[in-house]
Amino acid sequence: MAPKNRNNRDVTPSAASTAQTSATSSGSAPQAAVSTSAKPAVNKSVSSSSSSKQDWNSVVVNLANSYRDSAPQRTKLIDAFMTFLVVAGALQFLYCVVAGNYPFNAFLSGFSATVGQFVLTASLRIQTTEANKSDFPSVSPERAFADFVFCSLVLHFFCVNFIN
Amino acid sequence: MRSLLSFFALVWAVAVSAISTTGDRLLVVLDDVADQSSYSKFLGDLTSLSPCPLSVLRYWPRRGFKLSFETPKSESLSLFHLGERAYDHVILFPSKSKGLGPNLTANLLLQFINANGNILLTLSSGSSTPSSIVSLLAELDIQLPADRTGLVVDHFNYDAASAADQHDVLLLPAPHSIRPDIKDFFGAGASSNEVLVFPRGVGATLGSGELLTPIVRAPRTAYSYNPKEQGEVVDDLFAAGEQLALAAAFQARNSARLALVGSAELLEDAWFDAEVKTTSGQAAKTFNREFAKRLSGWAFQEIGVLRVNWIEHHLNEVGASNESNPGIYRIKNDVTYTISLSEWSWSSWSTFKVPANDALQLEFSMLSPFHRLDLALDPSHSTAEAAAYTASFKLPDQHGIFNFKINYKRPFFTNVEEKNTVSVRHMAHDEWPRSYVISGAWPWITGIGATVAAWLAFCALWIYSAPIDQKKGAKKL
Amino acid sequence: MRFQQQSFASAALLALATASGLASAAASSWGFDDASLSIAARKGSEGIKEKLNQKTPLATPVALGSADSLKVALTAKDNGKGKRPHQAFVVLRDQDSGLEAPFPLTVKENGKAVVQISQKDLPAQLLLAGKPLKASVVIASFGSATGLNTPAFEVEIRLDPATPLPNYEKPLRYGKRPEIHHIFRSDPRSPPKVISLFFTLAVAATVPALFIGWALLGANLNHLTKALGAAPLSHASFFGSIVAMEFVFFMYYTSWNLFQTLPAAVVVGAVAVLSGTKALGEVQSRRLAGER
Repeated sequence: MAPKNRNNRDVTPSAASTAQTSATSSGSAPQAAVSTSAKPAVNKSVSSSSSSKQDWNSVVVNLANSYRDSAPQRTKLIDAFMTFLVVAGALQFLYCVVAGNYPFNAFLSGFSATVGQFVLTASLRIQTTEANKSDFPSVSPERAFADFVFCSLVLHFFCVNFIN
Repeated sequence: MRSLLSFFALVWAVAVSAISTTGDRLLVVLDDVADQSSYSKFLGDLTSLSPCPLSVLRYWPRRGFKLSFETPKSESLSLFHLGERAYDHVILFPSKSKGLGPNLTANLLLQFINANGNILLTLSSGSSTPSSIVSLLAELDIQLPADRTGLVVDHFNYDAASAADQHDVLLLPAPHSIRPDIKDFFGAGASSNEVLVFPRGVGATLGSGELLTPIVRAPRTAYSYNPKEQGEVVDDLFAAGEQLALAAAFQARNSARLALVGSAELLEDAWFDAEVKTTSGQAAKTFNREFAKRLSGWAFQEIGVLRVNWIEHHLNEVGASNESNPGIYRIKNDVTYTISLSEWSWSSWSTFKVPANDALQLEFSMLSPFHRLDLALDPSHSTAEAAAYTASFKLPDQHGIFNFKINYKRPFFTNVEEKNTVSVRHMAHDEWPRSYVISGAWPWITGIGATVAAWLAFCALWIYSAPIDQKKGAKKL
Repeated sequence: MRFQQQSFASAALLALATASGLASAAASSWGFDDASLSIAARKGSEGIKEKLNQKTPLATPVALGSADSLKVALTAKDNGKGKRPHQAFVVLRDQDSGLEAPFPLTVKENGKAVVQISQKDLPAQLLLAGKPLKASVVIASFGSATGLNTPAFEVEIRLDPATPLPNYEKPLRYGKRPEIHHIFRSDPRSPPKVISLFFTLAVAATVPALFIGWALLGANLNHLTKALGAAPLSHASFFGSIVAMEFVFFMYYTSWNLFQTLPAAVVVGAVAVLSGTKALGEVQSRRLAGER
């Protein structure tokens, strides 16, 4: 969902968006090269894979740098919150794997609290990012936030109810 | 004066009630009505006063049967009147005729049993057994010797006084129960000096059905032979030893009873007070009178009759309502079941005591039993004439329609079959343990708490956070 | 009928009396002599032949195979004189159950008697007996002579392994049945508390970690005073109502039922909606002013 939106963003050239589009387009090219070149010869594929690894490294560094430099601080706060949700969700899932799923409803509600919150936050992020403004002409960031609050409260009620 | 009057009233009341539990109309079928004189003591015991164990009241209790005498060929003889039983009980004495006529066919006798009528059936080796009796017994899976004639002899246990040559008057110890878990109805209290005399009788073999129970079995050395054809030597043996039942009980599923006595002579006055001599030369008294009383009492539902007074089951949990017999329980509920039983013995209802090696069992079943438990006597709910048996248990962790089922069928006792249906439901949603009680749920509860707390902080940040780089914020616009 | 019997018995008595004198007639007793036990195999294998003694039974059990037949021959004697008794049985008894099967011997006038027993003559319960069957000889008759009932030998049944076991089902009897106790599914068990506590703390620790992360990213609440200054009531009540809603959920979790929760939630929700429009309007005005 998110990368696709970024690709569509070429019309409004901001620093961040151009860097991201170039990153994604350059990222997809070597992938295709690997998949096609893997067939004909082995040594060729080795060389190409090493080169693609380099490409990947540079791509990741590029991406990180451009994110650090050009992403708005508010977006970073949202991303930090989402990272927190991912970590909290992963811990709960890991606990379920390690210690068993009893009581299962508790696992479901605890885990789905983080997952649901993540999804809601992601849509808040999409709707409030400046670059996506043209996709949601009728939704102001404040309106998006109000929806976000409402949906989150519903989610919390569900989780509290379901965990018993 | 008044107390004396009331005492007599009491005696009268007891005397009137002191009869069989199923009725007092007794039909006696004899070849010749004049023959009843030889059974006068036995028949007298049935009707009139009989000696009482309490010496103060010499005649107590009354068995009080109303006797009607008929011959098999009598026109007026009919077991049924307008489709209803005309008699409650029948005694069939041996008949010399080949059949018993159209009023006593095997089919009619079976119908009589099916209509809860009781039969005391006597045989004799002196005459061949009537064909309708043979087919009635065959219907009940009781086999008589071939050619309808047989005589049981025992060269080791005979009355040396009356049958020193013939050995056909058997002397048997008082008949105690054949299995340790069966109540000793017939031989209890007999002194070792008393013997049961079994003169010139017929032995039968019993099929393997559970409705048949031998009361008296022949000694190991006894055998049955046909005196007409096997006078010289026994070549073809019908049955010998304990296979031979000299007296047997049949109780149908409707608890109607048929008692079979191989020797009608056993009931004759002559043997009630006779002095007999064992093969070792000891003189002995006969147990016949008491045995005849007990056998007829059993057959005519005067002993071994069980009654269910009440059944109660309830939730046995702390703080739960103590409602009786609720229609619904929950899985894993603790439940108490109590049943009150009385046993009729001769003249009154008394507490029913489960025989020593037996058990009254409760099944909690859906299709097949999930629990089968021995019930224990509950003295707190027992009275002088009713014993309460109880069991407490945890309902299975399976929801559905269940039965509390008592299926107490034992030899010589009337059948007790009781079924109480209840539903067993799931746990309701608010009956499960709360999540914070379960330590395994703590990380997940914390997960929700952390999400909510972080979300609240996030909301505050979103509304109130000022961008650190004012320029970037302006650029965004 | 009975007369015939009686005449026979009295004849026997007469014979007795003439044989040993009246005085000893009462004490006369039955016995046997010339007794032998033989087992003949149907197909040629060597048979066993043993002498039987009235006083002492055979010491070792004899084996009866599936194709064999056991033959007992003896001469019945009354006070040492060969005579035909009325009862001459070989009785086989299962030692455990006490079940007996009598086999009458064919007796001649002079007391010579014989019986043949093979496996197919035996009832299934005896064939399946665990211990060797005890065989005893019973010889007795009418009159005063005392009968004889003496153990003679033991038979061990050797079933043919090739043929299936004779099937015998115990007859159904009313009686006590074995108890049944329902086996419950085991209760689900929580993992060790150490693991639960560790993960609880780990999950809880993510919250301060998030706050630290936000702090590093320069999060602040600098606009709080500005917002409160612009719309104090709506901001306080909007954020307050969100917190209150979470508190309502907490009360629902701990003690309230749904019917206590819903009215409270409706009231708090209405406050949130009403104040939210104003508060977010203020936020929007800040955004439009380029302050966000």
